Amino acid sequence: MTDAPEWARLTDQEVVLLARSGREAAYRELIRRYERPVFALLFRMVRDRELAEDLSQETFIKALNAIESYRPEFKFSSWIFKIGNNAAIDHLRRRELDTLSLDGSPHAETPEAMQATALQIGARQESPLDTVEAKELGSEIEAAIGRLRPEYRSCILLRHVEGRAYEEIAEILDLPLGTVKTYIHRARNELRVALAHLKE
Amino acid sequence: MTAGFGPHLTPDEFDAWLAAGLDSDRARHLEICLECQARADAERALDEQLAALQLLSPAPDFADRVMRHVAVPRPVTIPSMQPARRRFLATRRSVAFAASIAVLLVASMATSVIWTLGHQATLVAIGGWLLTQTAQAGWLAIQGVASNLIEQPWYGAFRSAFDSPGRIAAASALAAAAYLAGIYVLRRLLALPTQQVAHAGA
Repeated sequence: MTDAPEWARLTDQEVVLLARSGREAAYRELIRRYERPVFALLFRMVRDRELAEDLSQETFIKALNAIESYRPEFKFSSWIFKIGNNAAIDHLRRRELDTLSLDGSPHAETPEAMQATALQIGARQESPLDTVEAKELGSEIEAAIGRLRPEYRSCILLRHVEGRAYEEIAEILDLPLGTVKTYIHRARNELRVALAHLKE
Repeated sequence: MTAGFGPHLTPDEFDAWLAAGLDSDRARHLEICLECQARADAERALDEQLAALQLLSPAPDFADRVMRHVAVPRPVTIPSMQPARRRFLATRRSVAFAASIAVLLVASMATSVIWTLGHQATLVAIGGWLLTQTAQAGWLAIQGVASNLIEQPWYGAFRSAFDSPGRIAAASALAAAAYLAGIYVLRRLLALPTQQVAHAGA
């Protein structure tokens, strides 16, 4: 098997099969297909290019070295996004770079609970996150996305930047479908509030 | 609420409206409800801003850096017959040798088939004689074992156990019980353990 397959015609599952049979070109094809979306997601999650490159690299190394454990009945994209998102969330938790939400805890069930866990805009102090913001993420919308909770950020990026279906986002983030919809709804509310001044 | 035109649009309905999938009743509400129109405009503006986000790519050497840490399995290859064939057919002498072996094999197989077709009666006779001899030898063996058993000193006591119908029934019940006990023990021995073994996956 020395002839190169027409990669564009192959599904992710077919490319994975070729990778499992020991074809380095298949590994490179998987990287080519997902390096941009995975990196973009991680960059917007951690807002540091170098760190995003490291986390993306870690994501691909982990995924490709465990390619035997990938189950083809699931989407490869869901699998790699899940690994990447977990890496980003773990990192953010370690660094305690959680941003504050105007809507309160994402786990709050009632309006009272949301209000109790919410913080005022004025209470928000400049976080180290703001200082490490890369130039590429300097626009108003990028800054507003950066101020979302990591859970909201993952949802909104997967939905509106990567164009993933709600069901796939639920699978990637291991969340119930209803929770994903709620997170996206709250994230959109926060973004609308944050960007309202642009319309005036 | 806008009286007469149903409740305001829900987030799911705004989502459907953005995807041009809002049903006609709700679309009618949107046409006349200023509050929903304002929200819809804001939702569309947000969607446009999200869609216009810059494409981000890692450094050009990203794939190379990843591949340096990935263990690609060795491709599974079927050993080729080419070198052996080349060695075997290297000289005229070895070619002649290989050809003569092939001719010999084909000729012996053909001879065997032809002889079999021409001597069917002989083969049937040989088969019949072998069958008779085997049956006779088997019968003699059974007779030998039986006469040997009868001559054993415990045979009389064993035989007397089956003298009356009551004794036959008792012996049968005993045999059945022993059989069932044997089956039970075997099943216990062959059953999989139901309890998890600690650290089995470690």
